[in-house]
Amino acid sequence: MIKNSANLLILGLLLLLGNSACAPKVKNGYTKERGFEGNISLSGAFALYPLAVLWSEDFKKEHPHVRFNISAGGAGKGIADALTGMVDIGLVSRDLHPEEMKNGAFPIHVAKDAVICTINANNPNFTLLKERGLTKDELKNIFIHNKYKTWKEIDSRFTNDPIIVYIRADAAGAAETWANFFKSKQEDLKGIGIFGDPGIAQAVKDDKNAIGFNNINYVYDLKTKKVASKIDVLPIDLNQNGKITEDENFYRTINELTAAIGNSTYPSPPARDLTFVTKGKPDNLLINEFIHFVLKKKSQSYLLENGYVPLNDLLIEKESNKL
Amino acid sequence: MKQLTFVLLLISLSVVIIIGIGLTFKSVPLFESFNIWNLLTDKVWSPMKGKFGFLPFIAGTLSVTLVALVIAIPLCILTSIYLTEYGSKTLKNTILPLINVLAAIPPVLYGVWGVLFIVPAIQSYIAPIFAVSTSGYTILAGGIVLAVMIFPIMISIMVEVLKTVPTELKSASLSLGATKWETIQQVILRKAKPGLIAAIVLAISRAFGETVAVLMVCGNVPKIPTSIFDAGYPIPALIANNFGEMMSIPLYDSALMFSALLLFVIIFGFNLISRIILNKLEGKHNG
Repeated sequence: MIKNSANLLILGLLLLLGNSACAPKVKNGYTKERGFEGNISLSGAFALYPLAVLWSEDFKKEHPHVRFNISAGGAGKGIADALTGMVDIGLVSRDLHPEEMKNGAFPIHVAKDAVICTINANNPNFTLLKERGLTKDELKNIFIHNKYKTWKEIDSRFTNDPIIVYIRADAAGAAETWANFFKSKQEDLKGIGIFGDPGIAQAVKDDKNAIGFNNINYVYDLKTKKVASKIDVLPIDLNQNGKITEDENFYRTINELTAAIGNSTYPSPPARDLTFVTKGKPDNLLINEFIHFVLKKKSQSYLLENGYVPLNDLLIEKESNKL
Repeated sequence: MKQLTFVLLLISLSVVIIIGIGLTFKSVPLFESFNIWNLLTDKVWSPMKGKFGFLPFIAGTLSVTLVALVIAIPLCILTSIYLTEYGSKTLKNTILPLINVLAAIPPVLYGVWGVLFIVPAIQSYIAPIFAVSTSGYTILAGGIVLAVMIFPIMISIMVEVLKTVPTELKSASLSLGATKWETIQQVILRKAKPGLIAAIVLAISRAFGETVAVLMVCGNVPKIPTSIFDAGYPIPALIANNFGEMMSIPLYDSALMFSALLLFVIIFGFNLISRIILNKLEGKHNG
């Protein structure tokens, strides 16, 4: 009995400690007779997760002996997991911090997307807002300084309704990128914090005086290519001439917008790189093969129909040469 | 068999202790750079600039819980009195199982319900009565959602407690000429007081740690709320919002661990104090 309970105690302690252990990695890569085989594990940003799943399915068609293990949990988790060796590749949707680079983070950009400013389609100043847009400084005053209480304070032609600012509550690549547009950090954004991208889209749809920001996928309907109901994009007045000219007006369909992001007409940030992060330069044949596969034309061609922006040839070349 | 159960008991106890030790250990980097008193009384939360003030989160947690209790306690006590003293057997037999079903609804559904109904209701109906303009994402919304979440646990325990009041006491009081309501006030509630307090304490423990449902409706603005129409930011929401994203920045990670420790200590201390009060009350009643 004593022996039994001692065993139980050991078992119990093992269970407690077992959480920190991780699955053994196959030291793998490539054999002549079986081709590529082994495991690739990825974790990280919600923005990249659906893409990673798509790419892994395709890769498996070509290399049936490869197994994938993909989880979402935020960009920071992806970096932390990649740096501690829990996963092979971290998925990241924001710029890396210097601390992370110091710890050996090795970024490879695989796609682009953008964060856009959103308003309610029934905003009392909708037509005028669409005509004149808002400049970067006006947006900064709204999101960082909370300078305006009402729309009228921005421009005397607007109505006297209050401005309700919505931001992300959860630490997110999208919020970090939007804050970067104003040379700030996510914690400097001031407003009502809502959890998650769908959450903030819903809040903007429900409140006619709302202003917020979203990933493209949550604003446009991927089937009709137009904006979803009750929500619309607030154009940014890039040349600050007080009106939205034809070259600034690329928000009508998702295709126009992704083209504008692709040729950098839409500024970056709020456009951003979506990145694979590994710990140091990857030396494993299989991981290298997968990253090369993702950078191929065919894999990049999915991106547009899913609301992401593919890398242009120059960038593909540049990223491939990193390996 | 005796030793086996003892070992199992030790294991389950050690889990709690290990959690406490683990959280403390992880919070150490933050203590090395700041003193605890400053952490707890600072108002500015700006981790990237090295400012870790936890006061807004402590205030947010307390105010949401307080609002929830102010709404829930009177309603629950009156409901359970009606069910035990006035309600028919059929009513009791239908309502109680229904309440237990409510207790099993996952928190995220309460959160969605809050976003879809409570938040717009506060924005367009409740706030205008007080001449305030708000988005609806407020301490009040968090309090209402939380109150509804703790109804089931409170009511079912309170009903059990009120059932235990001996019939002889009621009969004696009634035969001395007290009305039904006087009997309830003077005899039943007085006799059931420790049990009712225990029910409230259990509900508070549940409310304190509730995360998802509250963070969906409370607004998550790290400022000290000045009214129930302000947005607030409870501690559990802070952890849930930032944990996945910020683990790569050492001091931030440590700050989140410290807030977890804070929650742990608050709930632990709270339960300890209430246990002591209950023991005293029980001693006074039975002694």
